[in-house]
Amino acid sequence: MLTAPEWAIVGLSLKVGAVAMFAALPVAFALAYVLARGRFAGMILLDAVVHLPLVLPPVVIGWLLLIAFAPAGPVGAILQRWLGITLLFRWTGAALAAAVMALPLMVRAIRLSLEAIDPRLEAAARTLGAGPIDRFVTVTLPLARPGVLAALVLGFARSLGEFGATITFVSNVPGETATLPLAIYAALQEPGQESTVWRLALVSVLLSLGALVVSEWLMRRTSKPGSAHGV
Amino acid sequence: MGLFHTVRRAAFAVLAGLAVLATPVHAEPRGPLVLAAASLQESMNAAADAWAAHHHPRPVLSFAASSALARQIQAGGAADVFVSADEDWMDTLAKAGLIVPESRKSFLVGALVLVAPAGSKLQLRPAPGFPLEQALGGGKLAMADPDAVPAGRYGREALVHFGVWDAVSGQIARAENVRAALGLVAHGAAPLGIVYATDALAEPAVRMVGVFPPGSHKPITYPVARLKASTHPDAEGFRRFLLSGEGKAIFRHYGFIAP
Amino acid sequence: MAFDIALDLVRGERRIALTFATGAGITALCGPSGVGKSSVLAAVAGLLRPQSGHVVVDGVTLFDAAQNVSVPPEARACGLVFQDLRLFPHLTVAANLHYGERRAPRARQIVGFAETVRLLGIEDLLARRPATLSGGEAQRVAIGRALLAGPRFLLLDEPLAALDGALREGIMAVIERIRAEFALPMILVSHHADQVARLADHVVLMDTSS
Repeated sequence: MLTAPEWAIVGLSLKVGAVAMFAALPVAFALAYVLARGRFAGMILLDAVVHLPLVLPPVVIGWLLLIAFAPAGPVGAILQRWLGITLLFRWTGAALAAAVMALPLMVRAIRLSLEAIDPRLEAAARTLGAGPIDRFVTVTLPLARPGVLAALVLGFARSLGEFGATITFVSNVPGETATLPLAIYAALQEPGQESTVWRLALVSVLLSLGALVVSEWLMRRTSKPGSAHGV
Repeated sequence: MGLFHTVRRAAFAVLAGLAVLATPVHAEPRGPLVLAAASLQESMNAAADAWAAHHHPRPVLSFAASSALARQIQAGGAADVFVSADEDWMDTLAKAGLIVPESRKSFLVGALVLVAPAGSKLQLRPAPGFPLEQALGGGKLAMADPDAVPAGRYGREALVHFGVWDAVSGQIARAENVRAALGLVAHGAAPLGIVYATDALAEPAVRMVGVFPPGSHKPITYPVARLKASTHPDAEGFRRFLLSGEGKAIFRHYGFIAP
Repeated sequence: MAFDIALDLVRGERRIALTFATGAGITALCGPSGVGKSSVLAAVAGLLRPQSGHVVVDGVTLFDAAQNVSVPPEARACGLVFQDLRLFPHLTVAANLHYGERRAPRARQIVGFAETVRLLGIEDLLARRPATLSGGEAQRVAIGRALLAGPRFLLLDEPLAALDGALREGIMAVIERIRAEFALPMILVSHHADQVARLADHVVLMDTSS
């Protein structure tokens, strides 16, 4: 059905999306936890900042990433000098762009499931001898699992569609940063590439549809009455 | 909840498998990284294929707007060769000391043409006061955004030069790039459009109606240069290949003037 | 004294003040609903912090406002059976029972897993999830979970309220056996005079003026 280079594009997109998700997950969880449980003055501001990638033009995010993470940027210089990591023109940079763009959706999904957890269960764990980390690992985390899974799937779907930030930040390098949307855009620039466009577009639709259905199913399980409460 | 374990395990397995599939094969050596203006997509790909046929690793080509690529170079991106559709951005990089000065060469000249859908019988030659407004017959003139995109800037310049801009400026369909303008004509959404000759040749659904003479707008030149940050041993070889007789013939085939 | 308790609690608009000292066995805490009995248990367990007063159980000070002592709930070794049970929905009955057991030091354990399961008659429930249990089954699992956590004392919040007839009788028998076999001091919240009359060694009355 797909040609070898097209499979390579699909494979690269999946790799970038998967790595982006697992890199973003701890950050998303920490932010969701703070937003779900925290009570401090800067909450609204933090919430707004977390949601910025959802509303800012992706090209702005890409440009900000370029300024910060390119080898001449403050963070990029440190990464390159001390860790030997280069992000520009590399798939790792595409994964970073995808992770940043997916972060708001991930935080939302995890936050919803954290807010659905009955804090009385954590109090019960306390009386049974569980300290803070113990309670978090044995009660909070497992009960938040549907939201975490939904966040992974939803973020993955979002990262498959990432275009503007990626091309602005890490260019359109085949085999490194030319993920599905970039490859489709490039094919659209060439008359006569319609069959490639069709096939890659179909793959995009199927992957995104699958991810959205799975995440919706997971989120419904989270909000189902009784699933997160005692008897 | 055992279900979640199962789903998660399956998801991990699938993703891990795909990640392995997607890992680039490093058995073949990688070619130099060439950043090229999006309008060079077909011709540069053909040039890269020809170079690879000479038993060199095929260059890795990244196509995007010249401006986006130049900003990535400014930000410290380690690429090997830059081919710009715009002398201004090459000047900017030269001033910043990011290119090897003696490697810069404006090796391609583009021509600006008037196109119509392939079935159109229209005859129109760009000249002073030519009847563009009548030819449009109330339809739109498709062109890249004259305020933001080089192809649009050249187009406006030529129309101003011939004294017809004021008559048609209310009928411009501004496209995000020149290929989008081409698409508007190819799909019959506009009876006429202004694009590069290379675009007109690439799209069988359009017909070249007339060529804007070189004096009607600033020269459309494509400079190439090797970047200071380049480390690939093949970079200079590929740059020279682009300037060679064989290289220029490829670009001529795609509608460029290669002096 | 098994329980030596003096509390001054503020819950929203309300203020709950209660002082009592009782000996071994079962202390029944009685009073109309809404008077703050559950809040008192939460304070004894350490989940609520009183404004002032002290909580001393079997000579061990768990809370003393004057001396700024407040043992955290996870270190109080208190077997609290919540009125709403609060079984962990993501764990099986067996894993719920093991939750406190695994975290209690060996020296504090008063009864083994097999014996607890037998005592409560929940052998057949071990592989099930809390959501699939009946009210009486869940009640017994909650008592088992508290018992296995190596408690120095038990706090039972309306353990009979949701039950009727034979089930109620069964749980009362279990409570009596716990008292007889493990000599654990207990506070039992109930507002049924017959249960209090049968089970209580001491009775503490709470009313809105207390």
